[in-house]
Formats: sequence, structure tokens, C-alpha cells
Amino acid sequence: MSWAEEVEELKRRRELAKQQGGPEGIAKQHGYGRMTIRERIDTLLDKGSFQEQGKATAVPDYDDEDNFLGFVPANYVLGFGRIDDRRVVVGGEDFTLKGGSPNAAGLRKSIYAEHLAIQYKIPLVRMLEGGGGSVKSSGKRGGSSGGDSVFSEPRFKVIADAMGEVPVVSMAGGAVAGFPAGRMAASHFSVMSADTAQILVAGPKVVERALGVDMTKDELGGAHIHAKSGVVDNVATNETEALMQSRRFLSYLPSSVHQRTPRYPCDDSSERMEKDLLDVVPRDSRSVFNMREVIEMIVDLDSFFEMGKDFGRSQIVGLARIDGQPVGILANNNRVYAGAMTAEAAQKYRRFVELCDTFHVPVVNFIDQPGFMIGPEAEKKGTIRYGMAAVAAAAQATMPWCAIQVHKGFGVATAAHYAPNAYVLAWPSVESGALPLEGGVAVAFHREIEAADDPIAKRTEIEERLRAARSPFPRAESFGVHELIDPRETRPTLCQWIDWIQPQLDELKGPVKFSMRP
Amino acid sequence: MATHNVESEVTGSVWKVQVEVGDNVAEGDVILILESMKMEIPVESPADGTVAELRVQPEEAVQEDQVVAVIES
Repeated sequence: MSWAEEVEELKRRRELAKQQGGPEGIAKQHGYGRMTIRERIDTLLDKGSFQEQGKATAVPDYDDEDNFLGFVPANYVLGFGRIDDRRVVVGGEDFTLKGGSPNAAGLRKSIYAEHLAIQYKIPLVRMLEGGGGSVKSSGKRGGSSGGDSVFSEPRFKVIADAMGEVPVVSMAGGAVAGFPAGRMAASHFSVMSADTAQILVAGPKVVERALGVDMTKDELGGAHIHAKSGVVDNVATNETEALMQSRRFLSYLPSSVHQRTPRYPCDDSSERMEKDLLDVVPRDSRSVFNMREVIEMIVDLDSFFEMGKDFGRSQIVGLARIDGQPVGILANNNRVYAGAMTAEAAQKYRRFVELCDTFHVPVVNFIDQPGFMIGPEAEKKGTIRYGMAAVAAAAQATMPWCAIQVHKGFGVATAAHYAPNAYVLAWPSVESGALPLEGGVAVAFHREIEAADDPIAKRTEIEERLRAARSPFPRAESFGVHELIDPRETRPTLCQWIDWIQPQLDELKGPVKFSMRP
Repeated sequence: MATHNVESEVTGSVWKVQVEVGDNVAEGDVILILESMKMEIPVESPADGTVAELRVQPEEAVQEDQVVAVIES
């Protein structure tokens, strides 16, 4: 007797798994303008590189009279694949089956995805869609099992652990609620497709029942909400773009914390000096300039990948390359609150510093920091606490760090821009101190100003006197900065620095003390 | 015809209004300048079109995300 019968059945089940929710389920998914999980996987990965895990996972299905109907494939698809020829773990809910709410085998596979990534030391890409648990599963005949045993490891531990071990990317292709929404937030990079995805702690029916608020899922958790809430890093116009952004994000990182950051060949000259950098910062400190243009002029051409543009907008963060070396970019955006560190900007800043620290990615920081955001709203939001978390993240960071004093550097918030052993450059346009001149004069000279016949004229006179005395040279003379440079020299100088830090990057491997948390 | 809301990214006060209702504007043209955190913050048109509404005046306070003008294209 051979095992031909079982092998035949195995073949049938593998085939069954690929049928997903059947032609009807797939047509329904396409009818909503969404890809199926298998289409998402094929779009994300290098062509033909998918190696599925648990190909025959399924659960038996019974009707209400307990008659066996057949097997339903596990509604989570999992496997290895390659992105730019580097191995990754991919997984996602199959929404063509029972709305993506996990069946038993599906849930196991979704949790195993995290274990797999940690075990094999490779990035994890989750393609999320679905609503997490359902009360239906606990109300079934025979009752629920009562949950996990008391000695089992918390289910979320591996999710938290993964963030300190391997790059974790989450992409939302459809509505994501409950547990999957938690996974979305527990990522180094998250992206949602604007035309098909929503992210919700709970959907409209639950919200209506609890709060009496009648809203659609898009009104509750559409892209327009979460681009600004900071729950997702980026919004993509559609699913394909979201998957392409996921690929791009991973290109800047090593496969795990146990490897050094990659370095790529670069055809942009390390000697390139953009002449516009000479007058980009206005002499009048009330006038704004475009910091994104400054970044683009200095980093390798077309290498800047901004994250979280619409959340904490006074702070710019993103990944880029300098002379082929991936780097984290931090920069103040003076067009929003003069670049002040708001509560949101501080959260964005801390998370990004922790991301770079976790994966040993060197940081280049373009500083134009007027200080923490001030005023009644800022106080109510607890700005100083989030701000100090950002300062602490930088102060305890372990990766190579270059600070470029572009313009302002005032107050305690400025401390967030320097990690230990930072290489410090300054442009001639730098201004710094405990307080910006205008507010500082009003405080320090208030007796003199109030005693004057014309207080405003007196204040302006003092401000002008101090402004005239300001000069960038003392900080260079006293070795307060490594170099005072012509702004046009910034790229060549950074390219040299990138060369200097290579031995450090070779050594910096393994988990850090403070890795990124959601 | 599409309408585009021009929103302020910051809380501040209106310093100068640079256009009038009926003016043609291009994407990126400055609609008005706010004063916030001691800086002059330009608020730009999100699209090519015509200024249909101006909802604020000089010295008026504006809030983050407030619609300050409407452009029709």
C-alpha cells in the first residue's frame, strides 16, 4: 500500500487553499476595488519568489445541524519571499473568507509570522485587512475554550519583541479594525491606501452602540484622519503604491538588528555643491524657507523618502542616502510654527530616533529649532513631557550622528538635536541661545523697557543692538562646533563623514537598550 | 468645477491678504501671510483657479486647519 490516497488529498487541499473564498469571494473583493491577499503578495515580492508556509492549513466547516460541509482554508496567508533579492516574511488576512476575522488556523499563522521573522532574522511585511475577533466564535456550540492558559506567553509579547529585532512594515489594503489595527500601529513603517483602507479601533456599529454617534468607517478612520493622527506614517494613493512604499522603506534598513546597515553604489558625485544653498536661509529671521529643498539639494539625488509628512508638521523626518549610505534625516520645518517642537512633532521625533537607533542607521539633523511650542494649546497637550522623551531618545542614542546648525537653535528642545559624540557643523546663518532674541529681550530687559518713554521703541533698540553683535565666528573659534562651513560644502563634508563612520557601522550590531516601541 | 479649501497649517493671526476675490491664482501662489511664532508664514493656493471666497481679514486670529479661502477651478 502506498500513500497515494493521502498525497492526492494533500494536493486537493493545497489547491483548495489557493481558491481562497472561491470565485464569489474573490469577485466581491475585486468589486470593492481591492486586491486579494495573494495578489498583494505577488505585487509586493520579487517575481516568483513566494514560498508559502502552511499550505494545507484549513478548518473543518459544519452547518447548524453539525453536518460536515468541507474544509475552509485558513484565512491568513503566510510565507517567505524576496524584496530586491533580500528574504522577507510576508503575511496577511484573506478577506475573501469570512471577512478576514481569524479562524483558528488563520490566527495561529498570523501570530507565527512574527516568530518566523525573529527566528530567521528577516523583515516582516504584514498586509492587513480585517476586523480581529468576533463574538460569534465565542458563542459557538460547545462554548469557548475560555482563552489561553494562564501560563501561556502573552500574545502581544512577540509583536513587541519583533520591533526590537527586525524591520516590521504594515500595509492596510482594506478596513483594519481591532487586533489588526493594533498590528498596524506596532510597526516601524505603516502605510494605508487612500482609496480602499480605513483603520479603526472599532467600526461604525460598535461606535454607534457605545456612543450614539453615526459615522461611516471612512469618516471614523479614513486616510484623511490618520495622515494627521500619526497612526500611519504614510498614505498612498492606492494599494500598489502602498506596497511599493513598503519595498522602498525596507531598502534603507538591514534585514535585522544583527546586521549592519546596507550601503549601495552611488552615481551622485560626493563633490556636488548646489549654489542655491548660499542664499537659501533668509537674513531676515522672520522669513521662511523651504527645508525640504535644502534636504533634496544635499542628499543623493531622489533618495529622500519622507515619513509622516502631515503629522507633527513642524518636524520633518525621513530616510535618505548620502554617498550610497542610508541615513535618517531630521529637519525642522520653519513654515509650521517656525519649526517648534509641538507635542506631535516630539512624538514623531522620538519614534524616528528610536527607529534609527534600533537599526543602527546614522542620523543627519538639519537644525532650525526655535524651541518647544508655547501657548495655551501646547501646555494643555503636555508638550514638555513628549519633548523631553525626544530629548532623552537623542541623548541616549548610540548611532553616528551629524548635527548641522542651519539657523535657529533655542531652548531645551535644541538638546534633542544632539546625540553623544555628534559631529557638529554650523552654517553662517546659525543663531542660538536660551531664548530667541525677541522674546528673550522682553524678559531680560523688562525693567528697562517699562521705564522708557516709548517701551516698544526701547525694546526694538535693544533687539537691534544685540542682533548686530551676533556672529557665527565665536563658536568656531572656541571649538564649540567642529566646523563652520559654507552651506555649499555640506554635501562634500557629509560624504567625508560617511566614509569616517564606516568602521563604527561595521561594529554596531545587535539589539539596543531602547528599541522602538509603537 | 472643483472647489479647493485653502487651510492654515498653523494657529496665528492674519498679517497681509495678497489677493482679492475674483483673482486668478496658480498653484503655490501666496493667498495671504500669517504671523505665527514671530515668523511670516505664507499660505499658498493648493490649485490653479480663481479666488471664490476670502474668509479672513488682516489682524484676525486663525486656528490650525481653519479654512481661510476657497479656490474654484
